[in-house]
Amino acid sequence: MAENPRAIIKRNLFGENQVLRQILGICSALAVTNTMRNSLVMGIGLSFVTALSSLTLSAMRNIIPHRIRMLVQTLVIAAYVIFLDLLLKAYLPDISKQLGPYVGLIITNCIIMGRAEAYAQQNPPVAAMLDGLFAGLGYTLVLMIISLIREVMGFGSVFGMDINFLKLQTWTIMIMPPAAFFIIGSLIWGLTARAQRKARKEERA
Amino acid sequence: MKRGYLYTVLFMVILSAVFTFALAASYEGFKPAINLNAALQRERAILYTFGLEEVLDNDEATRKFDEVIREGELAGIQVPVYEEDGQVMGYALPFEGAGLWGTIRGYLGLNAQRSEVTGLVFTEQNETPGLGGRIDEPQYKEQFRGLPISEGTAIRYGNSQGQQLDAVTGATQTSAAVLRILNSALEGLFTGEVD
Repeated sequence: MAENPRAIIKRNLFGENQVLRQILGICSALAVTNTMRNSLVMGIGLSFVTALSSLTLSAMRNIIPHRIRMLVQTLVIAAYVIFLDLLLKAYLPDISKQLGPYVGLIITNCIIMGRAEAYAQQNPPVAAMLDGLFAGLGYTLVLMIISLIREVMGFGSVFGMDINFLKLQTWTIMIMPPAAFFIIGSLIWGLTARAQRKARKEERA
Repeated sequence: MKRGYLYTVLFMVILSAVFTFALAASYEGFKPAINLNAALQRERAILYTFGLEEVLDNDEATRKFDEVIREGELAGIQVPVYEEDGQVMGYALPFEGAGLWGTIRGYLGLNAQRSEVTGLVFTEQNETPGLGGRIDEPQYKEQFRGLPISEGTAIRYGNSQGQQLDAVTGATQTSAAVLRILNSALEGLFTGEVD
């Protein structure tokens, strides 16, 4: 029984967004979101790894011995991350240099293992791949929102393009990791409040 | 489904072998491109320290590099030397040291008399993006061009002999680390013979 693709997409982008609803992948959401370009590459990289590792793990789900499944997950994820790192080094050296150690740290991103444990283990490969891809894109979406706020307020630019004609005073705090904490916190607050209001309305109805 | 230990061990061994092999193969495949990028990055960095980079494309940069740079020696260390018509024009002194977060590496270009800095370039740094990381922006690096240096005088921020040198705002530690690294690289340079 495979979940319908539209439900997978909607669930991962909004309803169960990995960063804002599951509170996963926070460390990189704090670290790389001071410019939009880095956030985008990080998001695409993570989506790539999550999709492929979910696909691989789901394809093997019936032959993986249960007691070593986490070892297997880590192995598969690490292999894809190293592959991605090599790919960036070979074809996008500038971005690889800017992201530096963060690419390697994709391995430790809880979203990937979370999807492997929670979804790829019980679902067929194509659905698992979609789930992984859109979990990653949901993460990318949140990263882009945070980095838009941080880049505009911290550097006065969007994707590196100067928008200083607005004559905004740039805030150093926006460049530093704590700024992402405030922004993520506010976003989580907003979303949770909305979800609760909706639940209450349904209760009354 | 219950399976024996043997299956579990075999599964892990085989899976590890498959993935290791796949990664090794892809590394071999990417290696030429990766090495080429690394070499190109170094060539561009060295050209930049002498103000020769301008807007060269990759092939032009390599050609220019092969034309004017040769590996030489300065005060007992291997350094790339900039030569034009058989005349030494400058040296690219490699430096390396601890920044705020990680190692900072790069080259400091010096003129033939070792009395002036011709340029500064970083090939590796892991400072805070947007703060310490701004040492890699032209605004900071370009200040070093033409900076006078002499034996026994450390480079410092502020005004030295008419040339203003500013640290990066909000990145005091990184800015201080850069000068510490540069000064220790320059130390002992003046005692050696000119190649």
